Amino acid sequence: MAMFEEAVSILKDNLGNDVLECKTPKPRRAYILVKLGCHRDAISLLLKQYEQTGISTITGTDLGSEIELNYHMRCGGAVTIKNRVPKEKPRIKTITDLLPGAAFYEREVFDLLGVMFEGHPNLKRLLLPDNWPKGAYPLRKDWKPQDVKSGVSDSEKNSETNGGELKEATSIVNVVVGPQHPALHEPERFSFKVDGEVVVDVEPRLGYVHRGIEKAAEHLMFFQDVHLVERVCGICNAAHTTCFSQAVEDIGGIDVPPRALYLRTIVHELNRIHSHLLLLGVAGLLLGYEALFQHVWRDREPIMDLIEMITGNRLMTAFNTIGGVRRDLDPNAAGKIKKTLEEVKKRANFYKVVFKEDPTLRLRTEGVGVLSKSDALKLCVAGPVARGSGIDMDVRKDDAYAAYEEIPFNVISYKECDSWARLMVRAEEVLESIDIVIYALEHLPSGRFRVRVPRRQPEGEAVGRVEAPRGELIHYVKSDGTAYPYRVKIRSPTLANIISFPTMIRGGYVADIPAVLGSLDPCFSCTDRMVFLDTQNDRRWYWSLEEIKPKKAK
Amino acid sequence: MLHFNTGACNGCDIEVVALLTPRYDVERFGVLLQPSPRHADVLMVTGPVTKQCAPRLRVIYQQMPSPKFVVAIGACACSGGVFRDCYGVYKRLDEVIPVDVYVPGCPPKPEAILQGVIKLLEKLKA
Repeated sequence: MAMFEEAVSILKDNLGNDVLECKTPKPRRAYILVKLGCHRDAISLLLKQYEQTGISTITGTDLGSEIELNYHMRCGGAVTIKNRVPKEKPRIKTITDLLPGAAFYEREVFDLLGVMFEGHPNLKRLLLPDNWPKGAYPLRKDWKPQDVKSGVSDSEKNSETNGGELKEATSIVNVVVGPQHPALHEPERFSFKVDGEVVVDVEPRLGYVHRGIEKAAEHLMFFQDVHLVERVCGICNAAHTTCFSQAVEDIGGIDVPPRALYLRTIVHELNRIHSHLLLLGVAGLLLGYEALFQHVWRDREPIMDLIEMITGNRLMTAFNTIGGVRRDLDPNAAGKIKKTLEEVKKRANFYKVVFKEDPTLRLRTEGVGVLSKSDALKLCVAGPVARGSGIDMDVRKDDAYAAYEEIPFNVISYKECDSWARLMVRAEEVLESIDIVIYALEHLPSGRFRVRVPRRQPEGEAVGRVEAPRGELIHYVKSDGTAYPYRVKIRSPTLANIISFPTMIRGGYVADIPAVLGSLDPCFSCTDRMVFLDTQNDRRWYWSLEEIKPKKAK
Repeated sequence: MLHFNTGACNGCDIEVVALLTPRYDVERFGVLLQPSPRHADVLMVTGPVTKQCAPRLRVIYQQMPSPKFVVAIGACACSGGVFRDCYGVYKRLDEVIPVDVYVPGCPPKPEAILQGVIKLLEKLKA
């Protein structure tokens, strides 16, 4: 892609001798090592040149005497800007002033590797429990799980009392929601500051689902890790396995047969359909529309049946593997899949009309939880949240993987920037996904569906990117030439999106909280695999009533 | 019945939710999902118990009126599953609270969860 190559040459030309090493192993992937501290110049250059530049995540890797920080930028592809800081005293300048969306990523690295980000407005724990011992950084290589196993038990006590410090207690009331709450299906805690019915601020506390997957991945072999990353999230598991497999295939230079790429696409899209339907149903439930929830979930069941027929399991597909997929498609299955999808399509069209025209749904979601396009760019959100704010961003188009280069489809985006737009994006994407699956079935190449790959992978590193149902998903894998990965970093889309929640809800009503949260489609099991979350600025302000009032739809 | 996720990947959770929807419809057995632990007789737990969730889980269990029962859903709750030796989790649910019925699977199909619930009902009758 032209934009990507241009971006890389701009960096090389302008930074001159500050670039220590530059590798572009394949199209749309670059790894640029710069002098310590020059990462800010590099990122400013990209930002100045391209409005859509965002940060996907920051990976910290313990290299022994140094900690390597990889700033994964998205800019027509994945540009990784590397910096190395001494492990003795790891300090580096923050980039949150350039890109506020990096706030959580820096906190995550601080939490798990102990790197100090100078100038970060709110550098505190993101994922680990509050009573985690000081100086114990689980992602450093010299840290052993035994060190803390006995030490940490009841971790919640501190956070319970410190969770919402109020600077001036006036009419502002703290409302704590979760971790167990009827509207939340997963344990997270939000502490809302409420003035009357108006939400002044919110601070989410993540980490209730923090299990430590990234550390565990270093102790399993590559092909075993496929099944571990699958269990990062039960909903978008196909996206995780596709992403991880792609990263390892890049390292090993493995060519995946075309049939496997198509089969991957089919399962990936079925996964997306079920995930979007699930969310649309849950959104109905959160908005007090239980009949809609029951209807959507009934129509989701045939999709689950298809996934079970193709892969052998309703949810954990265990379908992808490094070098292809694990089973072939039954020749008789295509007809049945198409027939079922035609039925589901009728229902999906109906739901699109429901979300578009039902007056109650519109009243609850229109103009609620607005995230303007400029805020969305600054906070580096991803997926349907970005597309609901008018940003045409879809990894399937921008950085085509699997079979997406050959399959025609539209990127859905809405300009309304509110909860309604985010739901509509999903409702329409269901229809697009159905068409993609049907197209892929009709054009399914013949041949092998898997190549055998060695257990050991050569030394190297790679970034895998896919468009998961909730947005851009990134897996960064580093190999040191053995059968075990040296580092696996996962950044799930919810981590990118949850940072926008305070912006959306500030100034809204308490009753809108479920609507906004629902439209984000948060998935904390993905997010917490390693840790974190919080609002990045302490500023508070009130919006005038005029600004809060729903804008009339065009 | 109260559902609490102690750190699951969402796989078991959506299967628990699927139980409520028309195809499985657990309500026909007189099972109702309750929003508050104080109204629940049965606690369904999914996922490995994370260090951060454990104290909350104990509180929820204490809040439930007696007699109370616990169903462990999925490989992680039964035995830790793939997360068994991770630093963030306990090995099994029954290290934290007593468990009456175990439903293995990753994730168990809704039918299996339903069977677990029915097993519990039978156990109560006996």
